[in-house]
Amino acid sequence: MSTIKELYAYRQMIFSLVKKDLRGRYKGSVLGFLWTFINPLFQLIVYTIVFSKILHNDIPQFYLYLFVALIPWIFFSSSITVGASSIVAQKDLVKKIYFPRMVIPISYVTSCFVNMLLCFIVIFAVIIVTGTGINFLAVLTLPVIMIVEYIFSLGMAMIASAVTVYFRDLEHILGIVSMAWMYLTPIVYSKDIVPVKYHKLYNLNPMTPIIECYRTVLYEKQVPDLTTLLWAAGLGVFFLVFGAVIFNKLQKHFAEEL
Amino acid sequence: MAEIENAIEVRDVTKSFKVYLDKGAQLKERLLFRKRCRYEERKVLRGISFSVKKGEAIGLIGHNGCGKSTTLKLLTRIMYPDSGTIKMNGRISSLIELGAGFHPDMSGRENIYTNAAIFGLTKKEIDARLDSIVEFSELAEFIDNPVRTYSSGMYMRLAFSVAINVDADILLIDEILAVGDANFQSKCFNKLREIKAQGTTIVIVSHSLGQIEQICDRSIWIHEGLIKAEGTPKEIDLEYLDYMSRKMQDKNKKSDDGGAEDEEAAAQSGKRWGSGEARIKRVRTLSADGSEQNTFRTGEDIKLVLDYNVNKPVHDAVFGFGVFDMNGVQCYGTNTRIDKVSDFDLSKSGTAEILLKDVKLLAGEYMIDVAIERGEGIPVDYYRQAYKIQMLSAYGDAGIARIEHTWNLQR
Repeated sequence: MSTIKELYAYRQMIFSLVKKDLRGRYKGSVLGFLWTFINPLFQLIVYTIVFSKILHNDIPQFYLYLFVALIPWIFFSSSITVGASSIVAQKDLVKKIYFPRMVIPISYVTSCFVNMLLCFIVIFAVIIVTGTGINFLAVLTLPVIMIVEYIFSLGMAMIASAVTVYFRDLEHILGIVSMAWMYLTPIVYSKDIVPVKYHKLYNLNPMTPIIECYRTVLYEKQVPDLTTLLWAAGLGVFFLVFGAVIFNKLQKHFAEEL
Repeated sequence: MAEIENAIEVRDVTKSFKVYLDKGAQLKERLLFRKRCRYEERKVLRGISFSVKKGEAIGLIGHNGCGKSTTLKLLTRIMYPDSGTIKMNGRISSLIELGAGFHPDMSGRENIYTNAAIFGLTKKEIDARLDSIVEFSELAEFIDNPVRTYSSGMYMRLAFSVAINVDADILLIDEILAVGDANFQSKCFNKLREIKAQGTTIVIVSHSLGQIEQICDRSIWIHEGLIKAEGTPKEIDLEYLDYMSRKMQDKNKKSDDGGAEDEEAAAQSGKRWGSGEARIKRVRTLSADGSEQNTFRTGEDIKLVLDYNVNKPVHDAVFGFGVFDMNGVQCYGTNTRIDKVSDFDLSKSGTAEILLKDVKLLAGEYMIDVAIERGEGIPVDYYRQAYKIQMLSAYGDAGIARIEHTWNLQR
């Protein structure tokens, strides 16, 4: 409880770190902020070609089917892979001055989140341009799904960033893990083609219900199934609390380990 | 509450560091070279307890590595104690690392916001303080220029101004009062006094005992991870200085034993010249009580003793000495001719003693030149940098030597 109060007191720091990160990320590159969009778009093109033209599937509008899942996935995977090194990257601050250490993963995940929101502008543009249409009632639930994903990503980022301080290999291991994780989450395929006996296992992966919710809202234009949403929220909160506990334990020796 | 609360309470705090002999941070190294992960545990704090009342200012003193900076880091919560408890009441600001998070490409104004945010200030609070921060830093003209264009002095001024304007209840300071020019320093001091008068609790770690005496109500001397003494700065600082000078002597004696300088070497390095009828064999300094030592406190008497050999009688010998600071600036120099002491007739080896009364040299190291000359200044044995003494002072005055003075101020 006192942690939350303290983090609230340091909200200006979170805000300024997010701003610095967003401004600094593409500094010096010619296309600058456009990379925020170019990167996922190219991934989208590659996956679309591979999974609908080369490996055939019968999902209509596959690019959209993929796009609405890929953007949230990129948010999550960059939160954990790059977020893992966030504390090590800020070691000058951590070693020199006190502030609630959670500020760092929080601001990192938040800046990834802002990036995702910007990409959603493109998603909506695609939806409108292709005439797919929007179900406004369903879209109203979108913020809830986003918050659930944010919570889960933050929990994971806290664990990853704290452990990386002690064990620098994790940063690289997470690159592999996130690739495997992506293919174990129904992003480039539908959960329906997965054998039913694995569905329980699939649902233990919090990203599965989260991605399904995004897809229901934006691709199927329906209000997401409440149990799926609740299940995702439950897992998200669990990982956030778990992450915060681990982070608090590990943060005590940050200054010495860095 | 009738009683004054404690702002800081430290109970039985211990802290040790792992000093890795060869640390493998990667998985491969950890698995393959298990033995390499050996480390030594170094106890830095061995159980420290003290409390600081609200509005009190304390100074932590001690030699390098005694644990005083660690104590300060524990107080700021950058690190946590292994055992024991630390209780802090109120908002903490630290002047430990100034300018943390400064971004060189951002303007002074933007950096004020970033830096103050790190101290936990909200935008509204920073807005309210912005003017006084800029004013205090004296950087109004440059505040919208990128920080990378600042001189290091300007940089520190900006950083200090932010940190000191946080309006903390507890202010922790580590060796930072060497900020900027003398003018700005005195301004910082005044600001610190002002802050203290407003009831802010202050903890200072410093090597400059003078600074501590000026601001603190109490000194705590930490020695090898334990509190050795605690009391008013005047008492503690003297005790500490005595201890340090004794320690330094032990060290110097040890190094002297092994390193009696070779005369030839001295001659070759241009430190010694002369016709050689008489040679200075040994130089030493004694304190008032006659014990040999080379560290003195400002204001003490020093007896300079020269042992010399005579190879060929010199009938019109003149003895001289000079004192230089480490930059080679002569602080004082004279000889028996200038002092109108009649010439010596050196016919056999002996000892010359010079009593230097009330030496007002300020803290620092000084080199002593000694010389035997003849007639109107023909060197017989001029020995440059023959001896090094160290002066210690708990007083904060600056310069080469103290000029005695009294203040007579009309109010």
